[in-house]
Amino acid sequence: MWEERLSIHLRDRPAELLEAKKKGAKIVGYFPGNYVPEELIIASGAVPLCLANAGDTLPVEASLSAIPHIFCPFARTQVGERLLKRNPYYSMIDMLAAPITCQHLKKTAEIWEYYGDIEIFKLGIPHQHDNDFELEYYTDRLRALRARLQTLTGNEITVEKIGSAIELYNRMRELLRKISLMRRSSSPPLNALEFAKLNHASFYADPAFMIDILESAYHELRQKPSDTETDAPRLLLIGPNIGYGDYKVLELVKEAGGDIVIEEVCEGIRYYWHTIDNSGDPLESIAKTYLRDRVPCAFMRYSAKKRLDFALKLITDFKVSGVIWYELIGCETYDAESYFFAQRMGERNIPILILESDYGMADIGQTRTRIEAFIEMVKGGLD
Amino acid sequence: MIELLKMCGFEADEAAAELPRIEKAFNRLGITAEDIERGKQRLTKYYDIELKGVRKIFRLCVLELVNSLLAREEGKKKVIYGFMSPGIELLGSAVVSKSKEVFSVHHSWAFQIIVGCVFDKIVPAIEAAEKKWLKAGTVAHCANIKTLVGPFALDLFPKPDLMVTSGFTCETSPKTIDLLHELYDMPVCCIDTCQDRELREYPNPTKRIVELTAKSLRRLAERIQEIVGFEITDDMLQEVLDAKGKFNAALDRLRDLVESSDPLPLSPTHENLWMGLNMFTLSIDGIAEATKALNTLYEELQERVDKGLGVVEKGAPRILAILPAGQTDPRLEYLACELGIAIVAIDMSFRLPYEEKSKDPYINFAMASQQHSIALTLSGRIPLIIEGCKRLNVDGVLDRFHVGCRSVAGDALLIKEAITRELGIPVLLLEWENFDPRVYNHEQYKRRLEVFKAMMIGSSA
Repeated sequence: MWEERLSIHLRDRPAELLEAKKKGAKIVGYFPGNYVPEELIIASGAVPLCLANAGDTLPVEASLSAIPHIFCPFARTQVGERLLKRNPYYSMIDMLAAPITCQHLKKTAEIWEYYGDIEIFKLGIPHQHDNDFELEYYTDRLRALRARLQTLTGNEITVEKIGSAIELYNRMRELLRKISLMRRSSSPPLNALEFAKLNHASFYADPAFMIDILESAYHELRQKPSDTETDAPRLLLIGPNIGYGDYKVLELVKEAGGDIVIEEVCEGIRYYWHTIDNSGDPLESIAKTYLRDRVPCAFMRYSAKKRLDFALKLITDFKVSGVIWYELIGCETYDAESYFFAQRMGERNIPILILESDYGMADIGQTRTRIEAFIEMVKGGLD
Repeated sequence: MIELLKMCGFEADEAAAELPRIEKAFNRLGITAEDIERGKQRLTKYYDIELKGVRKIFRLCVLELVNSLLAREEGKKKVIYGFMSPGIELLGSAVVSKSKEVFSVHHSWAFQIIVGCVFDKIVPAIEAAEKKWLKAGTVAHCANIKTLVGPFALDLFPKPDLMVTSGFTCETSPKTIDLLHELYDMPVCCIDTCQDRELREYPNPTKRIVELTAKSLRRLAERIQEIVGFEITDDMLQEVLDAKGKFNAALDRLRDLVESSDPLPLSPTHENLWMGLNMFTLSIDGIAEATKALNTLYEELQERVDKGLGVVEKGAPRILAILPAGQTDPRLEYLACELGIAIVAIDMSFRLPYEEKSKDPYINFAMASQQHSIALTLSGRIPLIIEGCKRLNVDGVLDRFHVGCRSVAGDALLIKEAITRELGIPVLLLEWENFDPRVYNHEQYKRRLEVFKAMMIGSSA
């Protein structure tokens, strides 16, 4: 039932937003990566939209007039969608809040800025976070974002409004986490593809509506028996990013009889794993959670060991027997880190399969064969 | 070997005295008698070694490399390396000026110039890195960073007490030192900035970014102080900045002369020598010596200009090249010259004109670090390049992009679009790798440069 409600909502959402826009609502897009707080956008009265399209080669190819092939297909998609103007979400935004994270998304933001017809706010993310001055920098940039959003919408963003928004999104994160944690069970009620789609729906749906959907989903899934084969190897997926529509690997793993029970990717666990303390200064709380508490992405300095430790904890907690490392072609930090992870996993006899994608279909047969062989190997290891 | 050293500016006595050290260092690098012969041929072919200034610069390069390789066995108690980390040469120069027991160096610059440009033996180091985490192929890891990792993988350079890099324009380098720490147990430090400058903030320095960079540099200074065991005072840094100021003035004067002369008085193959010299972590005396080498070269070039001599014909098409000359391979610049194209400048030498000065050397350095072309975001960089093209009155732009670098490669297509739209001059887009000689494709480059030259001539006619 909730699936149908969500499906209808997402189908009608672009028209609904365009209608709201006609009535004066402002729409603020942002790139994923967990550094742009939706809380501030909602508190300004604007509508947050996470621009996370992926998995389609058309925008990747279209981007080549502006950005060379060495950029990851996700970043190129964000440039390509901007050029193609085919996606209503990308065309309807009044402002882009661009997190300055890896070089790929940084350059994407610069290219959007170069084209010049949409207001851009660049949210600087210090690539280290242990020192107070780095946290202060990010907090100051959040203050600047607040000021820019106030100018855009004409609405004052009060502490109370931010507090309410934190409460709203904390609820969203709690529900996503609870649903995700159900996959610790030996017979998970939903698979990785289903979870990814649910998570992605939260990027576009009205947040209050989405919370209602997640509540329903959580209650229904608690009663639902698993449809996964009991001997399916339990896998951890690590990678920079599973964008909206980039489902090829998730599908192939499922078809090959594997079960990804947890994902350590930007649009997943790093988002919902932590909630924000809503008792102190709200901007400082947001900054601390977003910058310090979350598992760092690979572009962050000195992150390899922290990320490895977190992955090992997930492997234990979710009873994982193999790792799928899913990187996007051109992503230099994940590619470098894959060497380190493969070494460290090897020392612990944890099988790891390293896959790369440019969203194309040319390598699908080879990828399928590699995944099938890997799953057979992991199964053999279990025996 | 002695002959090679003389070609590199060593006087006979000094060459004899330094020979054992240099042989020891070159043996470690696997430099053979055959390599020495090749080195001599390449020096003669690609560089103006009849110019004393050029020879003096090569001498400093050789010494920098040898000193790096032998630092530990020659008794240096603390060794600090910098890699793509503007700022470490400032702090490093201050500490090496204060203590003979400390050695600090941007070691890869001299390695690239001597092992790459002179001996053409950089590829084994690159391949060694590719067997680690910087694999070859579509991911396009930067070969500059491969020349950092490769020598460690081959155990050429001694392990440092601290390895420093920056994330000013790069993620691979910080990730690499992260892995050098995890896999080689190397103490590391990354200085950082934030590249969130917006179009509306140009052309002035962005205060918040300057302050963040300065704080990051101060944190590095604290770390270095713990290692070397003495304080790095602001006065020490100011003394280095003053010396560097004279060096930079000499370099600007030299560049101005090259840019404004017709015919071009010096081959663009030398551009990376100046860049390297600028990044060497020299003591204050060493900086003075480097400045003197540049001044000598200036005088020699002025003499050429006065006589109307040049390396291309007078009236040859003048072009701006995006990015510095090949760091490990001079062939592309040499080819351009051979085809009668005058590369008069590179965009790396363009800077935003900041007037502000602070009493805090960290702030001054941080400001300078966001002033030059590749430190700017796309919307700041394009106007600076277009302004430079107008000022230099160039006939075309060689828009080469370093395929291993997201920061600079990401600008290339839109630089071309903007120049074409605003200036209407030919732009040759060339995908290459600044640090990997394997990408050099003579026939392809030759054909493309010939067409480019014809377009420029046609365009100006």
